[in-house]
Amino acid sequence: MSTQQARTVQRVKMAPVIPGEPMRQRAMASSAITIDKLTKRFPAPGSGDEFVVLHDISLTVDEGKFVSIVGPSGCGKSTLLNVIAGIESYDGGSVTIHPKAGRTGAEPRVAYVFQSPRLLNWLTVENNIHFVLEAQNVPRPKWRELVAKNLEMVGLAGQERNYPLNLSGGMQQRVAIARALAIEPDILLMDEPFSHLDAITARKMRFDLMEILARAKPTILFVTHDLSEAVFLSDNIYMMSTKPAQIFKSVAIDIPRPRKSDDLALFDLEKTLVRDFFSVVEARG
Amino acid sequence: MASRVKSIGLRAGSIVVLLLLWWAASEAMNDSQVLPGPLAVARTIVADFKTPGPEGESAYFDVGITLARIFITFSASMLAGIGIGLAMGLNRLCERSLLVLIPLMLTMPTILMVFLAIMWFGYSEAGGLMAVMAVVTPFVAVNMYEGTKAMDKSLTDMAVTFKAPRTLLLRKVYLPQLMPYIFSAFRYAFGETWKIVALAETFGLKFGIGYMFFFWFEQFNITQTLAWIMMFVVLMLVLEHGVFARLESRAFAWRSASLARGRA
Repeated sequence: MSTQQARTVQRVKMAPVIPGEPMRQRAMASSAITIDKLTKRFPAPGSGDEFVVLHDISLTVDEGKFVSIVGPSGCGKSTLLNVIAGIESYDGGSVTIHPKAGRTGAEPRVAYVFQSPRLLNWLTVENNIHFVLEAQNVPRPKWRELVAKNLEMVGLAGQERNYPLNLSGGMQQRVAIARALAIEPDILLMDEPFSHLDAITARKMRFDLMEILARAKPTILFVTHDLSEAVFLSDNIYMMSTKPAQIFKSVAIDIPRPRKSDDLALFDLEKTLVRDFFSVVEARG
Repeated sequence: MASRVKSIGLRAGSIVVLLLLWWAASEAMNDSQVLPGPLAVARTIVADFKTPGPEGESAYFDVGITLARIFITFSASMLAGIGIGLAMGLNRLCERSLLVLIPLMLTMPTILMVFLAIMWFGYSEAGGLMAVMAVVTPFVAVNMYEGTKAMDKSLTDMAVTFKAPRTLLLRKVYLPQLMPYIFSAFRYAFGETWKIVALAETFGLKFGIGYMFFFWFEQFNITQTLAWIMMFVVLMLVLEHGVFARLESRAFAWRSASLARGRA
């Protein structure tokens, strides 16, 4: 442990909503995640030095939005998600997460979909979901309905009693998504969730994710190195560079949904963003 | 299916051959004071169960005593070993302080531990328990410790992001990953336990299979001595293959269930 006290995520409890005024609260674009000048350093192996993983990162994710962070591998984007998830500490700045407007007195619920499914292979699909429901103190009588609803949503109805190892990689990742949605998260963190899948399965999963999210409507922070994926899925994109790891551009994408993957506007936007990336990379040598 | 029948046939066959050899040797020797045949020994076993022995109790009593001793000492040393191993795996301080001690305990020869325990605790149940624990617990602990080092950190992180409390983490994430280590420790620990209990009964404790074995050994009654040895061997084989094998296949049902369906 470092001598300096490790900082952790602040979780804001919402004040109770005043009766008669809920509409005004709703109308405000309240933010779900606020990150202000976040800095994180890792000790460099071998020497007493530290290197900077995240440098002066500031971003906001508005409630109900799909926001992506795009950057090359090793730019610290997964570390950023881990900090928000509370499994890594940070050294400077602040990270604040808020519950959904209208949910009173509760701590914000954060769910995480990782690159690999990270299922407990010794538990059935259903018990994997029960695991997180128990962890989050969801009352037991609600479990059956939550399992059924979310498995149906990811297209795995009827697989309750099956074991993860019987499922294909794509199906396992669907279970991981169902598990994350089952706790009815205020914020859903996704770390390159489709990068381990073959191109065709990944494409199908992206379409399905759009449909699932249209129903479940959590706030999403999505990390990827794939610009076309980010452009297709997001409302906002933050672009990150390495050395130093910082955000150099943010883009809002106003193309209406449902989107088509062959939409020319998406293509044009992707092309522009790719150009931006290369100019930043070249400028830094 | 066919291969299973074949393997059972083979095992039964080799036991039959061994019994036949024993029988042939005893016929050739033709001296029941030196090598009684399997039938004579079997008859003695049946008689020992039916009629009270030299201490006024039938074989049920001694078998029961031995089983109880094995069960208690085995459970105690397994639990202690699992607890210590987990503590070492999950807590830095325990790891650093105990990692030095355990090889020390492991190098101690088993029979010396039995004698030491008897010297300290006398010919008592506590002496037997201490002997078993001194030998088995460090081994189980080391196994558990290695199990904790092999655990998948990414699953722990997953559980922590979903705010799983410590007990849930232990039950659903840690223990299932440690099961293979627990079972391999289980096997060895059980083998060691019954050998030490037999040894302690032979040298010091009152009642039990080892005690009866030594009683008849001192009387120079070879038929009874063989009868008690056979009882012990059969009992341990039944426990190992009947009970533990079944427990193990239940604990790993999720693996075979997956495999079976994967093939179907």
